[in-house]
Amino acid sequence: MSGKSNWMWVSIGLLCLLIAAIYLATYYYSESVYFRSLYEGAVSDLKKLTMKVNILIDYGNGTQTWYNGTSVPRETNVLMATRIVALVKGTEYPGMGTFVDSINSVRNEGGKYWMWYIWNPDKRNWELGPVASDKYVLREGDTIMWRYEIPSF
Amino acid sequence: MESMAHGSSEKIVSTRVICLVIMLTSINLALNYVMIGIPNVKLMDLIVFLSGYLMGLVPGILVGVLTWLVYGTLNPFGFNLIILAATCSSETIYAVFGWLLKKLNIGSDIITLLDINGRKFWFTSLKFGLIGFLATSIYDLITNIASVVIVGLSPIMAIISGVWFALIHEVSNFAFFFFGCIPLITALKKVLPEKEVIEL
Repeated sequence: MSGKSNWMWVSIGLLCLLIAAIYLATYYYSESVYFRSLYEGAVSDLKKLTMKVNILIDYGNGTQTWYNGTSVPRETNVLMATRIVALVKGTEYPGMGTFVDSINSVRNEGGKYWMWYIWNPDKRNWELGPVASDKYVLREGDTIMWRYEIPSF
Repeated sequence: MESMAHGSSEKIVSTRVICLVIMLTSINLALNYVMIGIPNVKLMDLIVFLSGYLMGLVPGILVGVLTWLVYGTLNPFGFNLIILAATCSSETIYAVFGWLLKKLNIGSDIITLLDINGRKFWFTSLKFGLIGFLATSIYDLITNIASVVIVGLSPIMAIISGVWFALIHEVSNFAFFFFGCIPLITALKKVLPEKEVIEL
């Protein structure tokens, strides 16, 4: 068999592989387009069910951690939102709400407690949370802060 | 030897070839109905290819077209004239490829299965397998385009939706051609001596 004939058969073999590769590439591309559209649909649905809030945890020793643009379920409260970004332990007092005992293993002690605040964009200042953290329902774009401090009251 | 056309110096089709065409068509039909539960896996393409290879272009085309005329009409999945036309015409590709390979003398040096230990045997089988794959991909392309006309899909969508069917068809035909061509050629050559293989 001549060398030219060998190359012809190698070319035919490669052509067959190319055809199979084109089929697979076309198939997987169409699959990726399909699943991308599913993903975008799911994200769109998720956006309708969630909202973005900003959370600041101030450890009182100069360490501040921001969790900006945190996605939380709509109608969620401050405590639930905080539990999304940090390990929170608390004690529930029926009728009053949950008293936070520790955040990220930093416990209330030595007269220092975890207090929560909400940013007032009109007055441009932090306002102390008016109720227990699990009683306050957040709205889209709210900014809250947990500060480890000796309460002023 | 009997022949269909006397009086002219050119022989058209011998009786034995006609018998073989009918017999191979019957085998094709039986195989198609037996394998109807396995989508796109059919031994018919191999038989049509071998018909073209051993008997020439016209008998090969006849085997393919006659098989589809029956199988495409009496088909549990239904009858569609456009599909029938597409399959009838595209099935001839196998006969054409068979005829061309015979012209190129591919596999003509394999006389018996005793050559199985030889490297050449497997190399020739590989060639047949590759040709089976290539012919099937052309066949699938034509039939997919026909389905575009019927269903109204875009050509790309037709190809995408039929990717797995096409791949199954091509890979199975590669295997059938790879393992089936040489044994069947050596067997059928005994039924159809070389001197009766018509050249059209």
